[in-house]
Amino acid sequence: MNNRFANLFGLSESDAIAVLDKPLDQLTEDDSRYIAASQLAFFPSEESIAALTRAIENREPSLDNRIVRRKAIESLGKLKAKSGLATIHGCLTETDDTYTIENAAWSIGEIGTEDSAILETLAQLLAVPNQSYRAIIHTIAKLDYHPALDRIQSFTEYEDKTIASAALATVYRFTGNEEVMESVMEFLFHPNVYTRRLCIQDLIDTNYYPAIPYISQAPVSLVFRMRGLRMLAEVGLPTGALQAEVIGPELEKALYDHPKDLQLIHAYDDTPAIDRLIQELYETDFARAYLATKTLIEHSDRPAVGAALLQTYQDKAREDYGAHYHVMKLLGWLRYEPGYDVLAEGLNISQPQFQKSRAAAAMALGELGDPKAIELLTPCLESPLWDLRYGAILALDKLGDRSGFDRLAEDPDWSIRAKIASLV
Amino acid sequence: MKSVVTTVIAAADAAGRFPSTSDLESVQGSIQRASARLEAAEKLAANLDNVAKEAYDACIKKYPYLNNAGEANSNDTFKAKCARDVKHYMRLIQYCLVVGGTGPLDEWGIAGGREVYRALNLPTAPYVEALSFARNRGCTPRDMSAQALTEYNALLDYAINSLS
Repeated sequence: MNNRFANLFGLSESDAIAVLDKPLDQLTEDDSRYIAASQLAFFPSEESIAALTRAIENREPSLDNRIVRRKAIESLGKLKAKSGLATIHGCLTETDDTYTIENAAWSIGEIGTEDSAILETLAQLLAVPNQSYRAIIHTIAKLDYHPALDRIQSFTEYEDKTIASAALATVYRFTGNEEVMESVMEFLFHPNVYTRRLCIQDLIDTNYYPAIPYISQAPVSLVFRMRGLRMLAEVGLPTGALQAEVIGPELEKALYDHPKDLQLIHAYDDTPAIDRLIQELYETDFARAYLATKTLIEHSDRPAVGAALLQTYQDKAREDYGAHYHVMKLLGWLRYEPGYDVLAEGLNISQPQFQKSRAAAAMALGELGDPKAIELLTPCLESPLWDLRYGAILALDKLGDRSGFDRLAEDPDWSIRAKIASLV
Repeated sequence: MKSVVTTVIAAADAAGRFPSTSDLESVQGSIQRASARLEAAEKLAANLDNVAKEAYDACIKKYPYLNNAGEANSNDTFKAKCARDVKHYMRLIQYCLVVGGTGPLDEWGIAGGREVYRALNLPTAPYVEALSFARNRGCTPRDMSAQALTEYNALLDYAINSLS
């Protein structure tokens, strides 16, 4: 499991168990059973599993307790706790609480089972109104329960396209009918942002390699594109189904993240003023932010755009990890030299939610072309973050300094090795 | 966008009938609560930045570990904290108050969000803690009228429930 947040709340296992077991009427303002339940996912012990199971069995109906139970179900899934399976199976009757069902379905998928009683209970939930069908379908697909195929087929044209996408992908998985995957790939360019983001998961789950060039053009955050490409590579490279020389450039395109490489799905009737475009960089739907980025790159008054970027950085983008990222990128695309200090700051930002800004800042420093950035970029070749190493390679190559590249020939990351091999 | 009104009309239209008495009662109920909702929406809009920042700061204060070297909020330059996500949910709650239904949260905030958090291994606990703080700190008549606060808190509960 990604442990970036493993100790987010600084709770030890025994502290977390004590809080989780506390009677509800004895909780103080400082106790959060919800946090305790989520924290125990990082402690794979029998005590931890037993405490989470006790929490699930506490059926007190208040909202505060319900969210704790749900989290406990999820944590058992993260721990892949087989001994928790019976308790989780019992939760599948709670159909008036769709989120509890969703977490239970997900956890069963994580733990894994061939018990047809559990799998059939899951399949029957597809006939119950208002459930999280997507999560249920995913687990049925993952656990390969073919008797549910007909029931899943009835969701392939479902109104909510995230559900249709999961159903189509499962039909492909169970029958090999490749035609249905065309529709899943079309969802990469759907107006709804979650449909775009989540269909990538379905393309990953089906190891659908023909989707690779389309994933890299999908107008969603690069985080989703790169995750999809890398997860496909993880499966496809060892088997020889994919070659690093083929998927590597697609991954690089996603990391480079220039809006010209994306199929944008929005358009402006009239070009908005700079202020309005800057505001769009704060959108959580990156498709809108990319349209604004593209428009700002093409703007005739570059100095005014550059100044507006520095202004919004000072005002609020430095606290907003989405806009922060776009500001880094734009300062590079515009080759706006007064942005150098902001980029140097972005290169070394330590907060995890700003992680993608670091590689963005590295590449933007490369775009600026000032050789004094070489000494800032060289240490990035040693970073534990693959994307920062990759971004630094691109930038240093642009600045004409390949002196640190040799030692990356044996890098643990396949994409770095492939890039270095293509350069040397 | 779903609201009580659009849901009632869509259901009636799907069945090829006029809205029933109970349909009209639910619309009437929603309209009667509209002024309280709009009061809450107005107050929230006027204080969105503060409410979001206060909620996020409370979470950080409660878990000072986040300020340790190398952790989420350790960088002195960024003391103002990243309240982006909390603000996003608050904005959706504000839309729900205006619409008179949970459509905006359902369509833009929740659907898919849960899967994304799970897939990327992102912790939901900070959001839940921050929104719980916002729910517990609301005070009448200081912040808004009792009815407006009821509407606001119900949507905070809805968001907490759906994120957890």
